Order: sequence, then structure tokens, then C-alpha cells
Amino acid sequence: MRLIELIHTTSFRLAIAFLVLFAVASGALFAFLSWETRDFLTDRTDEWLLREAGTLSALDDQTIISRLSARESLSAVRERPISLFDPQGHLLAGSTMTLPVYDVNKSNPHNFATKRADERAHFRGLVKRLSSGNTLLIAQDVGELREFNDVLTNAMILGAAVTAALGLLGAAFIGAGSVRQIHTISDVTRNIMSGDLTQRLPVLGGSGDVRRLVKVVNSMLDEIERLMHEVKGVCDNIAHDMRTPLTRMLAGLERARRRAVTADEYADYVDGAIVETQGMLKTFSALLRISEIEDGARRAGFVSVDMRTVISDAVELYEPLAEEREIRLSVDFGEVPVRILGDPSLLFEAVGNLIDNAIKFTPRGGAAKVTLEGHLKRPRLTVEDNGQGIPSQEKELVLKRFHRGEKSRHEPGNGLGLSLVAAIARLHRIDLSFGEQKIGCKIVLEFNHNEQGRALSSDTSLLS
Amino acid sequence: MSIILVIEDDARTASEIEAALIDNGCTVKIAVDGRAGLLEAATGRYDAIVLDRMLPGDLDGLGVLSTLRVAGIHTPVLILSALSAVDERVRGLKAGGDDYLTKPFEFLELTARIDVLVRRQSVAMPETSIRAGDLEADLLTHTVKRAGKLIDLLPREYRLLEYLMRHSGQIVTRTMLFEEVWHYRYDEPTNVIDVHISKLRRKIEATGAATVIRTVRGSGYVLDAPD
Repeated sequence: MRLIELIHTTSFRLAIAFLVLFAVASGALFAFLSWETRDFLTDRTDEWLLREAGTLSALDDQTIISRLSARESLSAVRERPISLFDPQGHLLAGSTMTLPVYDVNKSNPHNFATKRADERAHFRGLVKRLSSGNTLLIAQDVGELREFNDVLTNAMILGAAVTAALGLLGAAFIGAGSVRQIHTISDVTRNIMSGDLTQRLPVLGGSGDVRRLVKVVNSMLDEIERLMHEVKGVCDNIAHDMRTPLTRMLAGLERARRRAVTADEYADYVDGAIVETQGMLKTFSALLRISEIEDGARRAGFVSVDMRTVISDAVELYEPLAEEREIRLSVDFGEVPVRILGDPSLLFEAVGNLIDNAIKFTPRGGAAKVTLEGHLKRPRLTVEDNGQGIPSQEKELVLKRFHRGEKSRHEPGNGLGLSLVAAIARLHRIDLSFGEQKIGCKIVLEFNHNEQGRALSSDTSLLS
Repeated sequence: MSIILVIEDDARTASEIEAALIDNGCTVKIAVDGRAGLLEAATGRYDAIVLDRMLPGDLDGLGVLSTLRVAGIHTPVLILSALSAVDERVRGLKAGGDDYLTKPFEFLELTARIDVLVRRQSVAMPETSIRAGDLEADLLTHTVKRAGKLIDLLPREYRLLEYLMRHSGQIVTRTMLFEEVWHYRYDEPTNVIDVHISKLRRKIEATGAATVIRTVRGSGYVLDAPD
């Protein structure tokens, strides 16, 4: 794996970016903390210095000397030396300190370096000239604080270096992982492109988002594979359903060529050919319609459709047919109107097809019923009959293009009716299912929404 | 006799259309591309134009159509197209087309629709009743009498009969009936229309005289109205 490739991966860059961000943030935090701590300690020191200075300067020299001498025996005295000097700078009492060389009257706390005994050290303190002419030095050793500061800084630098190294390593590791993943994904994709649709992208550990993406792509591939299979199935079916009439037509025409003598005979053969061709045209345009509907572009022209109107129009269209077959066709609209967004012609066609099927597959004297239930949360349209029904193993198949139940082979039709209904339902996001029923067939369409209901609820919200 | 202009680039389709229209009693002129078609149509001497939606060259069917309409020529146009998507149809009609037929089509469908377009051109009078043979429809009360005897019709049957009477002597196809009487659109109405027609026929025959609705082989009907 080349370094340049690694550097170009998103995860590597992200890791680096986070590293930099982390470094800046923790640097700032460290600076803030050390500044605050120093401030706090200095404040406390100054407070003590001023308090001591105030107390001691109020006393006379003898008392100061005796106090300082008494104090010398305490252990804390090394950290906090207090000394009294005569006007010439000679030590009178207290800790063995050298008076700082600069101008001595600095009664405000400040930092300085001077000798304690013979050893040079850093202090924060103040020098106060007393009314007697002597000078008082009060100091706090800050060597330890400085040391602490140095240690902290060193630790911080070391920590930063280790973090940076680890971060870089981690970034490289993650980057390398994603490069590897991308490599596998592109390899597999290339394979899929070259025609092996059964392959899927590997779901690696990796980060959650890549995994999610891979899963989405895989389900897309599933869908593509399914569609390809369907297309293949459709092609096979077309081949079958077109070949049969084509063969019949060809045979008829050849026979006409061989045998026909009179004009009437020719006319008969030509009529036969016309009937076959019309049948093929019908099958063909039904197929085209299904793919047009499945295309989904038709959704753009959706309008609000009153299902009651559609149903009553469809029932009215099929009523004479039902009468002719002595089938009782009844409708129940329910109480609540159902309005959905859709294409009225397509919805009419779907309902019409269902009623047509119900009539077609119900024996004389049977009954078919259309029920609309608008009061349900998901409004429902049911078309049922007490005819021969659909065997349960065939239920899924009848929704596929071209499938025709074995029993219905003798009925006219191209086997596209129910798949057309299924396509229309899919376009309108209507769920189509078969109801459970001992006798006959029951098809249930479940709508996803009721425009009417929505309109009503928005009205009430306006009022309140 | 009507004169029809056919703008179609495929020579065989064009000659088939020509033959079908000539059989239907029309005079036909063929133009093979948009430019020639536009020039021909601009003469304004045609009763109707059959226009292929997809034409070679820079001027396609819709271009010809909109140019014609802009030029103020309102000859009825029937668009032929292999594109069946619904928005294609809408676009065709919006561009000024009067009717739209998807390939493949039956020639009966084409000639019947051309007849309706040509006829629509000639009659446009406000009327309260129409006659066809011994049938008389009252457009206000929605009733039909045959030789003075009232025929008992359901509303839809009345509309069906009225449409047939308006186009008496012409072939109307099932698809046309479905579009005009039921106001829904799809290319393959089932034979259920036949059942409606035969019911209507029985009601008309019930008045005694012979039927006047004749079935045309293929998928059409004619209301015969001997004058």
C-alpha cells in the first residue's frame, strides 16, 4: 500500500484532523490550569507575606528579634525565612539570608533570587524598612513550585509526543483498514459489473457508517438481482406467450398458401391471423402498461380521488356482465368516505380488474361483493366472491406477470390482470393481500392514508 | 369526402395508413418528414392531420404541431406515438393535438377517430335535441324516443346512446366509448362494453323495430341512421 494512498483516505485525514484538534484543546487546557494554579498559590503567598509584614512592623525591634529567634527552631522556617537586618545590611536576627542587592524598600510582594546561607535560591517576598531604620525581609521559597512547573511541562511534552505518535499510528491503522476495505469493495464491484450478480460486498468490521453503506448497497444488489430475474422470467414468458400465437398464425398462413382456393377460404385464414395478431397486441400493450405503471413517473400526476366514485363507476360498468352471468354483485361503501392521492383511471382499472376476475371465476348464481371500510385507520377495500378461489400455493404466483392459474387456462385473458392490479397497488403504495376464506377468493387492498381523514383533522386543528 | 394529411416517416406504416383511410373514403396525402409536413399542412386545405410524434430531422411531431398552431392553422390533429407514458399524451394534447393514439393501434381505431375529428370540425351548433334515423334524443331531459315511443334508459345508457347518435353513421370503438361515456382512460377496456351495448340494443329493440346498433368486426360499433 502506497503512503500517498493512505494519506488520501478520508479516515486518515479525519484522524489527523482530530489529533491536531485534540492537541490544541489539551494545550490550551494545560496552559489555563497551570496559570490558574500559579495564580492561586501566588495569591496565598502574598496574603501570608502581607499579614506577617503587617504584624511584625507593628512591633518594636527587640520583640521582633526575640520572635524571630524563637521561630528559628521551627521546621517551616527554611521554606519561609524571615530576617531582620541593620541599616548596613548585616543580619540581626532570623534566618541566614542575604538581603537582595537591589533597592531594598520594595514593600509589595515580588520575585527575587538571593542567597540563603550560602546557597542561591528563588523566593517571593517583600522587604520592609522599619521605623527604627532596620530592614525586615519576609520570603517564601518558590523553588519547589518552579520545579513542579518544570516537571509538569516536561510531562506534558512527553505526553503530547506519545499521544501524537499513537494518534499517527492509529490514523495509519484506520486509514489502512479503509484502504483495504475500499480495495475489496472495488474488486467485488468490478466482479459484479462484469456480470456476476450473485456476489455481495463483504460486511467488514470497520466503522459503522461504511458498514451501513455496504448493507444498503447489498440490499440494492438484491433488488437488482430480483429485477433481473424478473426481467428474465418476463422474457421467457413473453417468448412463450408470443410464440404460441405466432406459431398458430404461421401455420395458418402456410396452410392458406398451400390449400386455400377460393377468396372466402383466404379470408378465413386472414381473419384467423388478424385475431392472433390482435391478441398479441393486447398482451404486448398490457405488458408495456405494467412497466409504465411500475416506472412510477405517473405519480407526478396524482390527484385526490374519491374511492366511492371509482368503485361505483366500476361496479356500474360490470353490473350488466354480472347480471348476464347471474351473479349477485353488491357494494358496501361504509359510512366514512375514502379519498386517496392517485390516478383515477388506474384505480378504476384496478378495481375493475378485481371485479372482472370475481365475476369471471364465480359460477352462475354466485355472489361477488365489494366492501369499502373508511373508518379503519388504514382504509380497506375488499373484493370477494364465492367462486373457485385461488389455491394457496398459487397466490404469490398470480401476482407475477403472465401467471395464470391452471384452472383458469380456459378463461379468456392474457394472465396480466392481477399483476396489473399489483403494479397499480405498488404505484399507489397500497398493500395488496389475499384474505383468508374457505370458499372463493378475497382480495384486500389496504390504503396508506385517507385524504378525507387528513383534511378533517387539519380542519379541526385550524379551529382549535 | 375528407382530405387527410399523413405525416409519417416510415414508408410502410404511411402506406398502410393511406390504404386504411382510402378504404374509409378519404383522400390522402403523405409527407415523410416534419418540414415537408409543415409546408403541406400550412396550405390549410386538409380536414385532418395524422401526425407521427417522432420524426427524423430537426423538426419532430410536437414541433410541427406547435408551429402550426402558432401560425393559426387549426386543422384537427391526431398524434401517433410509440410513447405511451401518460405525460407524453398530456404533452401532445397540450401542444395543440386533438387526439392521441399509441402505436401499435388498430386501423379501425385510427379511421374511427379521424372521422370523429373531421365531423367535430363541421358541426358545432348549440342544440336541444338530436335525431338519428327514427331515434330522437332530448338533450335537456336526457330521454330518447324511438318513433315517438319513450325508451326507458338508465343514465349511463342514455349517455352511451347519445354518443352513438351524435356520431351516427360513423364507427366508434370501444376505447372511444369508454373514454367519452365513462370518462376513464385506458387502452384495453375489456369486452364488458359489449354487454352494455347489447343491453342497450335490447332496450331499443323492445320498441318493436329492428336494431340500429351494428357491431363492426374488430372492436367498434355503428349506429345506422337511414335518412
